[in-house]
Amino acid sequence: MSLSVPASWTARVSAYSNVMAGWLSATPDSASGSSPRAALRPPSEPTATSGRGALQLRRVNKRYEVDGKSLDVLQGIDLVVEPGEFICLVGASGCGKSTILRLIVGLDSDHDGEILLDDRPIGPPGLERGIVFQEHRLMPWLTVEQNIALSLEATGRSAAERARLVREHVDLVGLTGFERAFPRQLSGGMAQRVAIARGLVSQPKILLLDEPLGALDSLTRLYLQQELLRIWSRERITMVMVTHDVEEAAFLSDRIVVLSPRPGRVRRIIPVDLPHPRDRGDPRFIAIRQAALGELSR
Amino acid sequence: MSMSIPGTASTAQGLSRTGQAPVTVLRFAQRIWRFSRPLMFPAAIVLVWSAASAYGWVSPKILPSPVTIAETFWDMLAGGDISANLGISLIRVAKGFVVGGSLGLALGVAMGFSRTVEIWIGPLFRTVSQVPSLVWIPLLMQLFGIDEMLKLVIMVKACLIPIAITSSEGIRNIPGQYLEVAQVLALSRRSRIVNIILPGALPSIFNGLRQGLSHVWVSLVIVEMMVSAEGIGYLMSWGRLIFQLDVVIVCMILVGVIGFSLDFGLQRLEARCLRWRGTGAS
Repeated sequence: MSLSVPASWTARVSAYSNVMAGWLSATPDSASGSSPRAALRPPSEPTATSGRGALQLRRVNKRYEVDGKSLDVLQGIDLVVEPGEFICLVGASGCGKSTILRLIVGLDSDHDGEILLDDRPIGPPGLERGIVFQEHRLMPWLTVEQNIALSLEATGRSAAERARLVREHVDLVGLTGFERAFPRQLSGGMAQRVAIARGLVSQPKILLLDEPLGALDSLTRLYLQQELLRIWSRERITMVMVTHDVEEAAFLSDRIVVLSPRPGRVRRIIPVDLPHPRDRGDPRFIAIRQAALGELSR
Repeated sequence: MSMSIPGTASTAQGLSRTGQAPVTVLRFAQRIWRFSRPLMFPAAIVLVWSAASAYGWVSPKILPSPVTIAETFWDMLAGGDISANLGISLIRVAKGFVVGGSLGLALGVAMGFSRTVEIWIGPLFRTVSQVPSLVWIPLLMQLFGIDEMLKLVIMVKACLIPIAITSSEGIRNIPGQYLEVAQVLALSRRSRIVNIILPGALPSIFNGLRQGLSHVWVSLVIVEMMVSAEGIGYLMSWGRLIFQLDVVIVCMILVGVIGFSLDFGLQRLEARCLRWRGTGAS
Protein backbone atom coordinates (compact mmCIF):
# COMPACT_ATOMS: atom_id res chain seq x y z
CA MET A 1 0.00 0.00 0.00
CA SER A 2 2.73 2.41 0.98
CA LEU A 3 4.46 1.69 -2.34
CA SER A 4 1.72 3.40 -4.30
CA VAL A 5 2.05 6.65 -2.36
CA PRO A 6 4.14 9.25 -4.23
CA ALA A 7 7.31 10.37 -2.50
CA SER A 8 6.19 14.01 -2.36
CA TRP A 9 3.17 12.90 -0.35
CA THR A 10 5.19 11.09 2.24
CA ALA A 11 7.39 14.16 2.60
CA ARG A 12 4.36 16.35 3.06
CA VAL A 13 2.84 14.03 5.65
CA SER A 14 6.04 13.87 7.66
CA ALA A 15 6.41 17.65 7.46
CA TYR A 16 2.90 17.98 8.79
CA SER A 17 3.53 15.55 11.62
CA ASN A 18 6.68 17.48 12.54
CA VAL A 19 4.65 20.66 12.75
CA MET A 20 2.09 18.84 14.86
CA ALA A 21 4.75 17.47 17.15
CA GLY A 22 6.27 20.92 17.55
CA TRP A 23 2.88 22.40 18.29
CA LEU A 24 2.13 19.70 20.83
CA SER A 25 5.37 20.08 22.71
CA ALA A 26 4.90 23.84 22.71
CA THR A 27 1.62 23.62 24.59
CA PRO A 28 2.07 25.21 27.99
CA ASP A 29 0.21 22.34 29.64
CA SER A 30 2.62 19.67 28.56
CA ALA A 31 5.25 20.41 31.15
CA SER A 32 3.35 20.66 34.39
CA GLY A 33 0.54 18.48 35.56
CA SER A 34 -1.40 21.21 37.26
CA SER A 35 -2.22 24.11 35.02
CA PRO A 36 -5.57 25.88 35.41
CA ARG A 37 -6.73 24.53 32.08
CA ALA A 38 -10.46 24.95 32.56
CA ALA A 39 -9.89 28.62 33.30
CA LEU A 40 -8.08 28.95 30.00
CA ARG A 41 -10.64 27.11 27.95
CA PRO A 42 -14.18 26.68 29.23
CA PRO A 43 -15.78 23.69 27.54
CA SER A 44 -18.54 25.58 25.80
CA GLU A 45 -16.20 27.98 24.03
CA PRO A 46 -15.32 27.01 20.47
CA THR A 47 -11.73 25.87 20.19
CA ALA A 48 -9.30 24.40 17.73
CA THR A 49 -10.78 21.01 18.45
CA SER A 50 -14.43 21.97 18.05
CA GLY A 51 -16.22 19.60 15.72
CA ARG A 52 -14.09 16.80 17.09
CA GLY A 53 -15.81 14.58 19.57
CA ALA A 54 -19.25 16.12 19.93
CA LEU A 55 -21.42 13.38 21.39
CA GLN A 56 -25.19 13.33 21.47
CA LEU A 57 -27.50 10.78 22.97
CA ARG A 58 -31.15 11.27 21.98
CA ARG A 59 -33.90 9.36 23.75
CA VAL A 60 -31.73 6.30 24.19
CA ASN A 61 -33.55 3.29 25.60
CA LYS A 62 -31.98 -0.05 26.34
CA ARG A 63 -33.79 -3.22 27.26
CA TYR A 64 -32.51 -6.65 28.23
CA GLU A 65 -34.46 -9.86 27.95
CA VAL A 66 -34.06 -11.85 31.14
CA ASP A 67 -35.93 -15.16 31.40
CA GLY A 68 -38.43 -14.03 28.76
CA LYS A 69 -39.18 -10.84 30.70
CA SER A 70 -37.95 -7.55 29.35
CA LEU A 71 -36.02 -5.38 31.74
CA ASP A 72 -35.56 -1.65 31.16
CA VAL A 73 -31.94 -0.73 31.75
CA LEU A 74 -31.88 2.76 30.28
CA GLN A 75 -34.85 4.97 29.64
CA GLY A 76 -34.90 8.18 27.65
CA ILE A 77 -31.26 9.12 28.06
CA ASP A 78 -30.69 12.59 26.59
CA LEU A 79 -27.20 13.94 26.77
CA VAL A 80 -25.15 16.42 24.77
CA VAL A 81 -21.42 16.39 25.33
CA GLU A 82 -19.37 19.24 23.91
CA PRO A 83 -16.12 18.58 22.09
CA GLY A 84 -13.27 18.45 24.56
CA GLU A 85 -15.59 18.21 27.53
CA PHE A 86 -14.94 15.95 30.49
CA ILE A 87 -18.19 14.34 31.67
CA CYS A 88 -18.62 12.01 34.61
CA LEU A 89 -21.55 9.65 34.91
CA VAL A 90 -22.33 8.75 38.50
CA GLY A 91 -25.04 6.55 39.90
CA ALA A 92 -25.75 3.57 42.07
CA SER A 93 -24.56 0.22 40.80
CA GLY A 94 -27.01 -1.26 38.35
CA CYS A 95 -28.15 2.07 36.97
CA GLY A 96 -26.75 1.31 33.54
CA LYS A 97 -23.73 3.64 33.63
CA SER A 98 -21.48 1.08 32.01
CA THR A 99 -24.21 0.15 29.55
CA ILE A 100 -24.16 3.71 28.24
CA LEU A 101 -20.44 3.43 27.54
CA ARG A 102 -20.88 0.02 25.91
CA LEU A 103 -23.53 1.50 23.64
CA ILE A 104 -21.35 4.46 22.70
CA VAL A 105 -18.31 2.33 21.97
CA GLY A 106 -20.41 -0.09 19.95
CA LEU A 107 -19.96 -3.28 21.97
CA ASP A 108 -23.71 -3.34 22.37
CA SER A 109 -25.64 -2.13 19.34
CA ASP A 110 -29.17 -3.11 20.22
CA HIS A 111 -30.90 0.03 21.48
CA ASP A 112 -33.58 2.59 20.68
CA GLY A 113 -32.87 6.25 20.08
CA GLU A 114 -29.89 7.89 18.48
CA ILE A 115 -26.23 8.10 19.42
CA LEU A 116 -24.36 10.65 17.32
CA LEU A 117 -20.67 11.42 17.22
CA ASP A 118 -19.99 14.66 15.37
CA ASP A 119 -23.57 14.52 14.06
CA ARG A 120 -23.14 11.08 12.54
CA PRO A 121 -24.74 7.94 13.96
CA ILE A 122 -22.15 5.68 15.55
CA GLY A 123 -21.44 2.39 13.80
CA PRO A 124 -19.69 -0.76 14.92
CA PRO A 125 -16.63 -0.28 17.19
CA GLY A 126 -14.01 1.92 15.59
CA LEU A 127 -10.82 3.72 16.49
CA GLU A 128 -12.50 7.13 16.69
CA ARG A 129 -13.89 5.91 20.01
CA GLY A 130 -11.45 4.65 22.64
CA ILE A 131 -12.32 2.90 25.87
CA VAL A 132 -10.54 2.07 29.11
CA PHE A 133 -12.14 -0.66 31.20
CA GLN A 134 -12.08 -1.09 34.95
CA GLU A 135 -9.73 -4.05 34.56
CA HIS A 136 -6.76 -3.03 32.46
CA ARG A 137 -7.39 -5.84 29.92
CA LEU A 138 -3.83 -5.79 28.67
CA MET A 139 -2.77 -8.92 26.83
CA PRO A 140 -0.43 -10.66 29.27
CA TRP A 141 1.67 -12.03 26.41
CA LEU A 142 2.39 -8.62 24.89
CA THR A 143 4.84 -6.09 26.27
CA VAL A 144 3.78 -2.57 27.21
CA GLU A 145 4.67 -1.18 23.80
CA GLN A 146 3.11 -4.11 21.95
CA ASN A 147 -0.10 -3.68 23.91
CA ILE A 148 -0.24 -0.01 23.00
CA ALA A 149 0.68 -0.72 19.38
CA LEU A 150 -2.25 -3.14 19.15
CA SER A 151 -4.44 -0.04 18.91
CA LEU A 152 -2.68 0.97 15.70
CA GLU A 153 -3.04 -2.41 13.96
CA ALA A 154 -6.20 -1.36 12.17
CA THR A 155 -4.79 1.99 11.05
CA GLY A 156 -2.92 2.29 7.79
CA ARG A 157 0.07 3.90 9.44
CA SER A 158 3.65 2.99 8.59
CA ALA A 159 5.79 1.06 11.05
CA ALA A 160 7.90 4.12 11.79
CA GLU A 161 4.82 6.22 12.41
CA ARG A 162 3.43 3.60 14.76
CA ALA A 163 6.67 3.35 16.67
CA ARG A 164 6.73 7.13 17.07
CA LEU A 165 3.14 7.27 18.31
CA VAL A 166 3.71 4.42 20.75
CA ARG A 167 6.83 6.13 22.07
CA GLU A 168 4.97 9.41 22.50
CA HIS A 169 2.14 7.78 24.37
CA VAL A 170 4.38 5.70 26.61
CA ASP A 171 5.93 9.02 27.46
CA LEU A 172 2.55 10.71 27.89
CA VAL A 173 1.51 8.27 30.60
CA GLY A 174 4.95 8.43 32.22
CA LEU A 175 6.08 4.87 31.57
CA THR A 176 9.28 5.51 29.64
CA GLY A 177 11.68 2.72 30.50
CA PHE A 178 8.93 0.14 30.86
CA GLU A 179 8.32 -0.38 27.12
CA ARG A 180 9.54 -3.96 27.20
CA ALA A 181 7.88 -4.96 30.47
CA PHE A 182 5.11 -7.53 30.53
CA PRO A 183 1.83 -6.65 32.29
CA ARG A 184 2.55 -9.03 35.20
CA GLN A 185 5.58 -6.90 36.01
CA LEU A 186 3.50 -3.75 36.41
CA SER A 187 1.56 -2.45 39.39
CA GLY A 188 -2.19 -1.96 39.03
CA GLY A 189 -1.77 1.76 38.51
CA MET A 190 0.92 1.31 35.89
CA ALA A 191 -1.14 -1.26 34.02
CA GLN A 192 -4.08 1.13 33.98
CA ARG A 193 -1.84 3.85 32.60
CA VAL A 194 -0.84 1.50 29.78
CA ALA A 195 -4.53 0.90 29.13
CA ILE A 196 -5.07 4.67 28.96
CA ALA A 197 -2.18 4.97 26.50
CA ARG A 198 -3.71 2.17 24.42
CA GLY A 199 -7.00 4.05 24.42
CA LEU A 200 -5.35 7.28 23.30
CA VAL A 201 -2.69 6.18 20.84
CA SER A 202 -5.11 5.81 17.94
CA GLN A 203 -6.05 9.46 18.54
CA PRO A 204 -9.77 8.93 19.07
CA LYS A 205 -12.28 11.75 19.11
CA ILE A 206 -13.66 10.55 22.39
CA LEU A 207 -12.26 8.45 25.21
CA LEU A 208 -14.68 6.45 27.35
CA LEU A 209 -13.53 5.46 30.81
CA ASP A 210 -15.44 2.74 32.65
CA GLU A 211 -14.45 3.15 36.30
CA PRO A 212 -10.79 3.08 35.30
CA LEU A 213 -9.57 3.90 38.79
CA GLY A 214 -12.13 1.80 40.63
CA ALA A 215 -9.85 -1.13 41.36
CA LEU A 216 -6.86 0.91 42.55
CA ASP A 217 -5.76 1.81 46.06
CA SER A 218 -6.69 5.31 47.19
CA LEU A 219 -3.22 6.86 46.88
CA THR A 220 -2.71 5.59 43.34
CA ARG A 221 -6.21 6.72 42.62
CA LEU A 222 -5.56 10.31 43.70
CA TYR A 223 -2.36 10.35 41.69
CA LEU A 224 -4.00 8.98 38.56
CA GLN A 225 -6.84 11.51 38.86
CA GLN A 226 -4.25 14.24 38.42
CA GLU A 227 -2.62 12.29 35.63
CA LEU A 228 -5.95 11.99 33.84
CA LEU A 229 -6.45 15.74 34.09
CA ARG A 230 -2.98 16.37 32.73
CA ILE A 231 -3.54 13.98 29.83
CA TRP A 232 -6.97 15.39 29.12
CA SER A 233 -5.71 18.96 29.00
CA ARG A 234 -2.93 17.89 26.68
CA GLU A 235 -4.91 15.71 24.33
CA ARG A 236 -7.96 18.01 24.26
CA ILE A 237 -10.38 15.21 23.49
CA THR A 238 -13.83 14.50 24.82
CA MET A 239 -13.86 12.18 27.82
CA VAL A 240 -16.84 10.40 29.32
CA MET A 241 -16.05 8.61 32.53
CA VAL A 242 -18.18 6.34 34.65
CA THR A 243 -17.41 6.42 38.35
CA HIS A 244 -19.19 5.73 41.60
CA ASP A 245 -16.97 8.18 43.43
CA VAL A 246 -18.68 11.57 43.59
CA GLU A 247 -15.57 13.35 44.78
CA GLU A 248 -13.63 11.97 41.82
CA ALA A 249 -16.36 13.25 39.51
CA ALA A 250 -16.27 16.70 41.11
CA PHE A 251 -12.49 16.78 40.92
CA LEU A 252 -12.26 15.82 37.26
CA SER A 253 -15.30 16.73 35.27
CA ASP A 254 -16.86 19.77 33.68
CA ARG A 255 -20.29 18.35 34.39
CA ILE A 256 -21.52 15.55 36.61
CA VAL A 257 -24.40 13.52 35.20
CA VAL A 258 -26.30 11.85 38.04
CA LEU A 259 -28.24 8.77 36.97
CA SER A 260 -31.13 7.17 38.80
CA PRO A 261 -31.32 3.39 38.94
CA ARG A 262 -33.74 0.87 37.38
CA PRO A 263 -34.39 2.01 34.79
CA GLY A 264 -31.39 4.31 34.34
CA ARG A 265 -32.48 7.91 33.71
CA VAL A 266 -30.66 11.20 33.83
CA ARG A 267 -31.74 12.61 37.18
CA ARG A 268 -29.73 15.80 37.17
CA ILE A 269 -26.72 17.37 35.49
CA ILE A 270 -24.49 19.35 37.83
CA PRO A 271 -22.01 21.76 36.23
CA VAL A 272 -18.66 22.09 37.98
CA ASP A 273 -17.53 25.63 37.24
CA LEU A 274 -14.28 25.52 39.15
CA PRO A 275 -10.82 26.08 37.69
CA HIS A 276 -8.24 23.31 37.78
CA PRO A 277 -6.48 22.27 39.91
CA ARG A 278 -9.45 22.00 42.20
CA ASP A 279 -9.10 22.26 45.93
CA ARG A 280 -11.02 19.48 47.60
CA GLY A 281 -11.39 21.66 50.69
CA ASP A 282 -12.88 24.60 48.78
CA PRO A 283 -16.44 25.27 50.05
CA ARG A 284 -17.71 25.47 46.45
CA PHE A 285 -16.14 22.07 45.71
CA ILE A 286 -17.74 20.61 48.81
CA ALA A 287 -21.10 22.13 47.87
CA ILE A 288 -20.97 20.50 44.45
CA ARG A 289 -19.94 17.17 45.94
CA GLN A 290 -22.76 17.36 48.46
CA ALA A 291 -25.26 18.28 45.76
CA ALA A 292 -24.29 15.22 43.74
CA LEU A 293 -24.37 13.02 46.82
CA GLY A 294 -27.78 14.41 47.71
CA GLU A 295 -29.11 13.54 44.27
CA LEU A 296 -27.69 10.02 44.56
CA SER A 297 -29.27 9.27 47.91
CA ARG A 298 -32.62 10.80 47.04
CA MET B 1 15.60 -23.96 49.76
CA SER B 2 17.83 -21.94 52.06
CA MET B 3 16.46 -24.02 54.92
CA SER B 4 18.30 -27.06 53.69
CA ILE B 5 21.72 -25.56 54.31
CA PRO B 6 21.32 -23.43 57.41
CA GLY B 7 23.51 -20.37 57.52
CA THR B 8 24.62 -20.52 53.92
CA ALA B 9 23.52 -17.01 53.16
CA SER B 10 25.27 -15.48 56.13
CA THR B 11 28.45 -17.43 55.42
CA ALA B 12 28.44 -16.24 51.87
CA GLN B 13 28.05 -12.66 53.03
CA GLY B 14 30.85 -13.00 55.53
CA LEU B 15 33.18 -14.38 52.93
CA SER B 16 32.34 -11.83 50.32
CA ARG B 17 34.13 -9.22 52.38
CA THR B 18 37.39 -11.11 52.28
CA GLY B 19 37.35 -12.17 48.63
CA GLN B 20 35.35 -13.29 45.65
CA ALA B 21 36.71 -16.80 45.13
CA PRO B 22 35.10 -18.47 48.18
CA VAL B 23 31.74 -16.97 47.24
CA THR B 24 31.96 -18.47 43.77
CA VAL B 25 32.82 -21.84 45.28
CA LEU B 26 29.85 -21.59 47.59
CA ARG B 27 27.55 -20.64 44.77
CA PHE B 28 28.85 -23.61 42.84
CA ALA B 29 28.18 -25.87 45.82
CA GLN B 30 24.68 -24.47 46.12
CA ARG B 31 24.08 -25.17 42.45
CA ILE B 32 25.23 -28.74 42.80
CA TRP B 33 23.01 -29.14 45.83
CA ARG B 34 20.02 -27.78 43.95
CA PHE B 35 20.54 -30.19 41.06
CA SER B 36 21.29 -33.17 43.24
CA ARG B 37 18.20 -32.92 45.43
CA PRO B 38 15.91 -34.76 42.98
CA LEU B 39 18.50 -37.55 42.83
CA MET B 40 18.57 -38.15 46.59
CA PHE B 41 15.50 -40.33 46.70
CA PRO B 42 16.51 -42.60 43.80
CA ALA B 43 19.97 -42.86 45.36
CA ALA B 44 18.43 -44.01 48.64
CA ILE B 45 16.42 -46.66 46.81
CA VAL B 46 19.53 -47.93 45.04
CA LEU B 47 21.28 -48.04 48.39
CA VAL B 48 18.59 -50.16 50.01
CA TRP B 49 18.44 -52.31 46.90
CA SER B 50 22.22 -52.86 47.04
CA ALA B 51 21.99 -53.80 50.69
CA ALA B 52 19.15 -56.20 49.93
CA SER B 53 21.26 -57.91 47.27
CA ALA B 54 24.48 -57.88 49.28
CA TYR B 55 22.91 -59.42 52.37
CA GLY B 56 20.84 -61.88 50.33
CA TRP B 57 17.45 -60.55 51.45
CA VAL B 58 16.12 -61.23 47.95
CA SER B 59 17.28 -63.82 45.45
CA PRO B 60 19.25 -62.37 42.53
CA LYS B 61 16.91 -64.32 40.24
CA ILE B 62 13.99 -62.25 41.43
CA LEU B 63 15.81 -58.95 41.75
CA PRO B 64 19.31 -58.63 40.27
CA SER B 65 21.67 -56.36 42.17
CA PRO B 66 22.33 -52.80 41.02
CA VAL B 67 25.86 -53.84 40.16
CA THR B 68 24.53 -56.51 37.79
CA ILE B 69 22.20 -53.95 36.26
CA ALA B 70 25.06 -51.53 35.72
CA GLU B 71 27.18 -54.28 34.16
CA THR B 72 24.33 -55.34 31.89
CA PHE B 73 23.80 -51.73 30.92
CA TRP B 74 27.45 -51.39 30.05
CA ASP B 75 27.43 -54.61 28.02
CA MET B 76 24.31 -53.60 26.14
CA LEU B 77 25.76 -50.17 25.46
CA ALA B 78 29.10 -51.53 24.29
CA GLY B 79 27.43 -54.27 22.25
CA GLY B 80 25.30 -51.70 20.44
CA ASP B 81 21.99 -53.20 21.57
CA ILE B 82 20.88 -50.02 23.21
CA SER B 83 21.95 -47.58 20.52
CA ALA B 84 20.46 -49.67 17.71
CA ASN B 85 17.09 -50.26 19.37
CA LEU B 86 16.85 -46.88 20.98
CA GLY B 87 17.66 -45.19 17.70
CA ILE B 88 14.83 -47.05 16.02
CA SER B 89 12.39 -46.20 18.80
CA LEU B 90 13.33 -42.52 18.82
CA ILE B 91 12.91 -42.24 15.07
CA ARG B 92 9.47 -43.81 15.41
CA VAL B 93 8.58 -41.38 18.18
CA ALA B 94 9.71 -38.46 16.07
CA LYS B 95 7.56 -39.59 13.15
CA GLY B 96 4.56 -40.32 15.33
CA PHE B 97 4.80 -37.02 17.18
CA VAL B 98 5.28 -34.94 14.06
CA VAL B 99 2.38 -36.57 12.19
CA GLY B 100 0.04 -36.86 15.17
CA GLY B 101 0.98 -33.48 16.55
CA SER B 102 0.33 -31.62 13.31
CA LEU B 103 -2.93 -33.45 12.71
CA GLY B 104 -3.95 -32.84 16.32
CA LEU B 105 -3.13 -29.13 16.11
CA ALA B 106 -5.03 -28.78 12.84
CA LEU B 107 -8.06 -30.54 14.27
CA GLY B 108 -7.83 -28.64 17.53
CA VAL B 109 -7.74 -25.31 15.69
CA ALA B 110 -10.74 -26.40 13.60
CA MET B 111 -12.64 -27.51 16.68
CA GLY B 112 -11.65 -24.37 18.56
CA PHE B 113 -12.77 -21.93 15.89
CA SER B 114 -15.78 -23.75 14.51
CA ARG B 115 -18.64 -24.73 16.70
CA THR B 116 -19.91 -27.01 13.93
CA VAL B 117 -16.74 -29.09 13.86
CA GLU B 118 -16.84 -29.29 17.64
CA ILE B 119 -20.48 -30.39 17.66
CA TRP B 120 -19.90 -33.05 15.01
CA ILE B 121 -16.72 -34.65 16.23
CA GLY B 122 -16.01 -33.28 19.73
CA PRO B 123 -17.98 -35.91 21.69
CA LEU B 124 -16.60 -38.73 19.54
CA PHE B 125 -13.12 -37.49 20.31
CA ARG B 126 -13.71 -37.35 24.00
CA THR B 127 -15.09 -40.89 23.95
CA VAL B 128 -12.24 -42.32 21.91
CA SER B 129 -9.75 -40.63 24.23
CA GLN B 130 -11.09 -42.80 27.08
CA VAL B 131 -10.12 -46.01 25.26
CA PRO B 132 -6.47 -46.84 26.03
CA SER B 133 -4.18 -47.11 23.02
CA LEU B 134 -3.30 -50.66 24.09
CA VAL B 135 -6.88 -51.78 23.51
CA TRP B 136 -6.70 -50.64 19.90
CA ILE B 137 -3.77 -52.88 19.04
CA PRO B 138 -5.66 -56.12 18.22
CA LEU B 139 -8.11 -54.32 15.95
CA LEU B 140 -5.49 -52.19 14.26
CA MET B 141 -3.31 -55.25 13.68
CA GLN B 142 -6.08 -56.65 11.54
CA LEU B 143 -6.22 -53.46 9.53
CA PHE B 144 -2.60 -52.42 9.24
CA GLY B 145 -0.61 -55.59 9.85
CA ILE B 146 2.31 -55.52 12.24
CA ASP B 147 4.69 -53.23 10.43
CA GLU B 148 5.67 -49.61 10.83
CA MET B 149 2.22 -48.49 9.77
CA LEU B 150 0.65 -50.06 12.85
CA LYS B 151 3.08 -48.26 15.15
CA LEU B 152 2.54 -44.98 13.38
CA VAL B 153 -1.22 -45.25 13.59
CA ILE B 154 -1.15 -46.10 17.29
CA MET B 155 1.21 -43.24 18.05
CA VAL B 156 -0.76 -40.79 15.96
CA LYS B 157 -3.92 -41.82 17.76
CA ALA B 158 -2.16 -41.54 21.11
CA CYS B 159 -1.14 -37.90 20.67
CA LEU B 160 -3.67 -36.53 18.22
CA ILE B 161 -6.52 -36.65 20.68
CA PRO B 162 -5.03 -34.93 23.73
CA ILE B 163 -3.46 -32.28 21.51
CA ALA B 164 -6.68 -31.64 19.59
CA ILE B 165 -8.78 -31.44 22.75
CA THR B 166 -6.49 -29.19 24.79
CA SER B 167 -5.72 -26.83 21.93
CA SER B 168 -9.39 -26.49 20.98
CA GLU B 169 -10.24 -25.75 24.59
CA GLY B 170 -7.41 -23.23 24.77
CA ILE B 171 -8.80 -21.43 21.77
CA ARG B 172 -12.37 -21.52 22.97
CA ASN B 173 -11.52 -20.39 26.50
CA ILE B 174 -9.92 -17.09 25.54
CA PRO B 175 -11.55 -14.65 27.98
CA GLY B 176 -14.39 -12.70 26.38
CA GLN B 177 -12.86 -9.54 27.80
CA TYR B 178 -9.85 -9.91 25.50
CA LEU B 179 -12.10 -10.50 22.52
CA GLU B 180 -13.98 -7.31 23.40
CA VAL B 181 -10.67 -5.45 23.30
CA ALA B 182 -10.07 -6.90 19.83
CA GLN B 183 -13.51 -5.65 18.82
CA VAL B 184 -12.99 -2.17 20.26
CA LEU B 185 -9.60 -1.88 18.56
CA ALA B 186 -11.26 -2.92 15.26
CA LEU B 187 -8.67 -5.66 14.77
CA SER B 188 -8.84 -7.64 11.56
CA ARG B 189 -9.60 -11.35 11.82
CA ARG B 190 -5.98 -12.15 11.08
CA SER B 191 -4.66 -9.76 13.70
CA ARG B 192 -7.13 -11.06 16.26
CA ILE B 193 -5.93 -14.61 15.69
CA VAL B 194 -2.23 -13.75 15.65
CA ASN B 195 -2.21 -11.28 18.54
CA ILE B 196 -4.89 -12.59 20.84
CA ILE B 197 -6.26 -16.06 20.20
CA LEU B 198 -3.13 -18.04 19.41
CA PRO B 199 -0.90 -16.56 22.10
CA GLY B 200 -3.75 -16.91 24.57
CA ALA B 201 -4.19 -20.57 23.64
CA LEU B 202 -0.46 -21.33 23.68
CA PRO B 203 -0.31 -22.51 27.31
CA SER B 204 -3.07 -25.04 26.59
CA ILE B 205 -1.43 -26.05 23.35
CA PHE B 206 1.85 -26.72 25.14
CA ASN B 207 -0.02 -28.67 27.76
CA GLY B 208 -1.49 -30.83 24.99
CA LEU B 209 1.85 -31.25 23.24
CA ARG B 210 3.50 -32.46 26.43
CA GLN B 211 0.67 -34.86 27.16
CA GLY B 212 0.74 -36.03 23.54
CA LEU B 213 4.48 -36.65 23.47
CA SER B 214 4.33 -38.67 26.64
CA HIS B 215 1.42 -40.72 25.27
CA VAL B 216 3.35 -41.36 22.05
CA TRP B 217 6.34 -42.65 23.99
CA VAL B 218 4.33 -44.90 26.29
CA SER B 219 2.17 -46.34 23.53
CA LEU B 220 5.19 -46.98 21.32
CA VAL B 221 6.92 -48.97 24.04
CA ILE B 222 3.77 -51.05 24.46
CA VAL B 223 3.35 -51.73 20.74
CA GLU B 224 6.99 -52.62 20.48
CA MET B 225 6.61 -55.07 23.33
CA MET B 226 3.65 -56.72 21.68
CA VAL B 227 4.43 -56.61 17.99
CA SER B 228 7.92 -55.69 16.93
CA ALA B 229 11.29 -57.15 16.15
CA GLU B 230 13.26 -54.08 17.13
CA GLY B 231 13.09 -51.06 19.38
CA ILE B 232 13.42 -50.52 23.12
CA GLY B 233 10.09 -52.21 23.86
CA TYR B 234 11.11 -55.23 21.88
CA LEU B 235 14.38 -55.38 23.80
CA MET B 236 12.41 -55.41 27.00
CA SER B 237 10.06 -58.21 25.97
CA TRP B 238 13.02 -60.17 24.67
CA GLY B 239 14.73 -59.83 28.03
CA ARG B 240 11.61 -61.10 29.74
CA LEU B 241 11.38 -64.03 27.32
CA ILE B 242 14.89 -65.26 28.14
CA PHE B 243 14.40 -64.54 31.86
CA GLN B 244 17.00 -61.83 31.91
CA LEU B 245 15.45 -59.51 34.41
CA ASP B 246 18.53 -57.28 34.37
CA VAL B 247 17.84 -56.48 30.70
CA VAL B 248 14.23 -55.70 31.52
CA ILE B 249 15.23 -53.37 34.34
CA VAL B 250 17.81 -51.58 32.21
CA CYS B 251 15.12 -51.03 29.59
CA MET B 252 12.63 -49.82 32.18
CA ILE B 253 15.08 -47.28 33.48
CA LEU B 254 15.88 -46.16 29.94
CA VAL B 255 12.20 -45.78 29.08
CA GLY B 256 11.65 -43.65 32.16
CA VAL B 257 14.71 -41.49 31.68
CA ILE B 258 14.00 -40.91 28.00
CA GLY B 259 10.34 -40.12 28.62
CA PHE B 260 11.46 -37.65 31.27
CA SER B 261 14.00 -36.06 28.94
CA LEU B 262 11.51 -35.68 26.11
CA ASP B 263 9.09 -33.95 28.44
CA PHE B 264 11.86 -31.85 29.94
CA GLY B 265 12.84 -30.65 26.47
CA LEU B 266 9.30 -29.56 25.72
CA GLN B 267 9.04 -27.96 29.13
CA ARG B 268 12.10 -25.85 28.43
CA LEU B 269 10.69 -24.84 25.07
CA GLU B 270 7.43 -23.95 26.79
CA ALA B 271 9.16 -21.81 29.39
CA ARG B 272 10.99 -20.01 26.61
CA CYS B 273 7.87 -19.39 24.53
CA LEU B 274 5.78 -18.35 27.52
CA ARG B 275 8.23 -15.99 29.15
CA TRP B 276 5.37 -13.57 29.77
CA ARG B 277 3.98 -15.93 32.40
CA GLY B 278 7.02 -15.44 34.59
CA THR B 279 9.19 -17.93 36.39
CA GLY B 280 6.56 -19.33 38.68
CA ALA B 281 4.54 -20.93 35.92
CA SER B 282 7.03 -23.36 34.41
